[in-house]
Amino acid sequence: MLEALGISSLDELFADVPKKARIGRMGVGPSHEESEVVGEVDRILERSRALSHFACFLGGRIAPRYVPAAVDAMLSRSEFYTAYTPYQAEASQGMLRALFEFQSLWVELTGLDVANASLYDGATAAGEALLLCRRIHEGRRFLIPASLPWEEKSVLRNYASGPNLHVEEVPYDARSGGLDLAFLRREVAVGDVFGVLADVPNGFGHVDEAVLELKSTIGAVPLVVSADPLSLSVLEPPGNYGADVVVGEGQGFGIASSFGGPLLGLFACRREHLRAAPGRIVGATLDAEGRRAYALTLVTREQHIRRSRATSNICTNESLMALAFVVYGSVVGPRGLAQLQTTLAEKARTLASALGGIEGLQAPRFDAPYLGEFTVEVGRGTADAFLDRLRRRRILGGHPLADPRPGAGPQPERILVAATDSVGDKEIQKYARAARTAMESSRGAA
Amino acid sequence: MTFRQARWEEPPIWDLAPPRPGEAPSLVPGIPERFRRKEAVRWPELSELEVVRHYTRLSQMNFGIDTGAYPLGSCTMKYNPKVSEVLARRKHAAELHPYQPESTAQGALEILWRLERMLTRVTGMSEVSLQPAAGAHGEYAALLMVRAYFRDLGQSETRTEVLLPDTAHGTNPASAAMAGYATREIASKDGCVDLAALKAAVSEKTACFMLTNPNTAGLFESEILEIAETVHGVGGMLYYDGANLNAILGITNPGRMGFDVAHLNLHKTFATPHGGGGPGAGVLAAGDKLAPYLPIPRIVKTGRRFRLDYDRPKSIGKIKTAYGNFGLDLRAFAFALYHGEDGLKHVARRSVLNSNYVAMKLGKFLPRPFRPLVKHEFVLSGAPLKQRGLRTLDLAKRLLDEGVHAPTVYFPSLVEESLMVELPETESKRELDHYIAAFERAIGDTDENLHASPRFLSVRRVDEVRAAREPLLSWKDLRAGAKAETP
Repeated sequence: MLEALGISSLDELFADVPKKARIGRMGVGPSHEESEVVGEVDRILERSRALSHFACFLGGRIAPRYVPAAVDAMLSRSEFYTAYTPYQAEASQGMLRALFEFQSLWVELTGLDVANASLYDGATAAGEALLLCRRIHEGRRFLIPASLPWEEKSVLRNYASGPNLHVEEVPYDARSGGLDLAFLRREVAVGDVFGVLADVPNGFGHVDEAVLELKSTIGAVPLVVSADPLSLSVLEPPGNYGADVVVGEGQGFGIASSFGGPLLGLFACRREHLRAAPGRIVGATLDAEGRRAYALTLVTREQHIRRSRATSNICTNESLMALAFVVYGSVVGPRGLAQLQTTLAEKARTLASALGGIEGLQAPRFDAPYLGEFTVEVGRGTADAFLDRLRRRRILGGHPLADPRPGAGPQPERILVAATDSVGDKEIQKYARAARTAMESSRGAA
Repeated sequence: MTFRQARWEEPPIWDLAPPRPGEAPSLVPGIPERFRRKEAVRWPELSELEVVRHYTRLSQMNFGIDTGAYPLGSCTMKYNPKVSEVLARRKHAAELHPYQPESTAQGALEILWRLERMLTRVTGMSEVSLQPAAGAHGEYAALLMVRAYFRDLGQSETRTEVLLPDTAHGTNPASAAMAGYATREIASKDGCVDLAALKAAVSEKTACFMLTNPNTAGLFESEILEIAETVHGVGGMLYYDGANLNAILGITNPGRMGFDVAHLNLHKTFATPHGGGGPGAGVLAAGDKLAPYLPIPRIVKTGRRFRLDYDRPKSIGKIKTAYGNFGLDLRAFAFALYHGEDGLKHVARRSVLNSNYVAMKLGKFLPRPFRPLVKHEFVLSGAPLKQRGLRTLDLAKRLLDEGVHAPTVYFPSLVEESLMVELPETESKRELDHYIAAFERAIGDTDENLHASPRFLSVRRVDEVRAAREPLLSWKDLRAGAKAETP
């Protein structure tokens, strides 16, 4: 090829890089054989403990849940995973159709009209929902539950900070952990509110009945509901109680927890907001022979066409994870999803009653319905110390809810505990015994 | 011309076993009746085999890198090594929760820490964060960092503008607008930044100049040091869009060129699979001034232990749940480890060689609007096709029939009927020659065939105008036969 180009060395190809901009060595180390790479990566990875080493009660937005082998087999089809964004519709009907089916499943779960082809994760989907609310409603203030996980609050503040919008917290009822509707009503009446977000289950793991009254409380102000997709197999679709946008974290549907990434941002909205919606959208159309075909559509909303006036800067999304979501939903099926959610809820009740009588623990902390998870308050010692004692007995007992930033100030010693599909009665009783011992020894220490 | 894509008469999944509406799931204990779902989720009940067969058939109607050459300019569609897929599925990688105690996640933290160190050296910057999920996500985070920096200098009222060349990726102006900046485009000259125009445009209002180098015309911005001086001269920041980093690995780097902050796309340069549009993995790399503003947590090493550090008072906070797309970061780490110093430099040299070779050959068929020496990609103009009543789009569709993917088309927009071709280092000379021959056949085919293409894929030319005019966006729409109201 050098000869064909009429040059004698590869260096001539970089004659346009000024000498002063050249570098010497980068210092990234030598190359390795594939077998050496495997050896080295495995050696490092094995310094972690996989979740299966423990009785695992970790949850929150990221659910360590069994992934049926068929889901990963479909994700491993390299026609899917080695493709780019389906710009050339004719060459990419497979992925376009899978994404259309994914959008359809999220529409069915939420009761809304239109879904996009995915965003990065639940938190960034909530951020995009915030921006959509601003496009469809005047105001500078966006209201969120004070119980929302601190990470999501931080992400939302970052999405709001660009256009100089304010994210404000709605306090929760001390007994139920639910939204203070009276407070919300007052704040909306004060004015300047362009959107309200609520989550189902909420950041404490509870299903807050106040959410059903939200739309009648806030009137014309757009309502965003952030919902766990599994919960929607048994709960009223948010579209039926007035949500304008429904977002969620889709990882629990067939995606490995993988230390928190890749995840899957779910996004659906009412049809009248379609032109203001972010992200890629797949639509059905016809080909030149009049047969059903699919394509990316409504692209005039997007950055590559509209540039600084786009509805979002989304280019990459999480298409492969969207494929996992719809394959999972189809392999498990609607009855299977509802059954799984019911089983997890039953396990959580068993866990709550096993922990309930332990002195120094308040489990659940809040008096409200729940599905697969709930909040426990550690009344003696710290949440971290409690969890550390459990860990030494090979139990991952949940995660602390506190914002870990030093500036966040003193916070309640609370943990979110989840019943995962990998725990049974044996693990639940083990947790209860270990928790009792931990609390007794913390009394000794105090 | 032997390519034939599968053409299954496969119905949508709901038509495989049309569900009956109605049957509500039973009440979950403790959940109030009025919160209960009144009708089961409307979705088919299928056997595992039916689902597997359905998505296998769909996959056979999809084109990936493993199918054939994928010369999408600016997308760097290189081979995704199979070993990375194996490693990302190890239980000590896939079965980790981001909230498990640090002491039980030392391996994952070490992978992230070591990848950050490697990328610090690759970019010549001070610190790296792997938190962004994608390039555009990194752009937005970086611009928030720039804003926070100027706020601390008391200049948030005055630094209101982001400048970009007219060749910039669409994500650049979109991210800048999201971050609250006014954007101003600088006209290019011969495909590169017009330094005089830039000098005239910069002022105390300039927060940032966003630049891709090599740029989207495939050209190296040789005046980069003068550009940096110009932007820094008014106190502005220089932003590196790393989409095209592949061309300069080991040759130069953003730090040496004078950039203050950069994003990289691991799904381009570091060979992580792009999954039909995502996941990606973004990287934020910052110089000394902006490093304190990187997202939390930072991964720090104390002795032999790794931990998550949240004590960064200047940090912009979080831009995503957890710590980034770990599964992709792990693949990128394996790629970097495999290639090492010399391998990464070879990546750049070979990708630039491929590009120049193919550019020279294809230059016989269509005009090349800029200077001949290109980097990892190049631009052609399909304008002469108009004399035949054809467009670049027709050529792109005709190329699909050759078993190769089309180039990026109609970008960059400063070239009429543009095509942008990138064949990365993983394509052999045999594949390049095959591609050149395919291109020659395609452009030499009859006007009629070009208009009628593609003919050998699962569908014929797709009517995208109809898709936008009458949006049918889900099964629900198909059921309703809805013609969407379009406000």
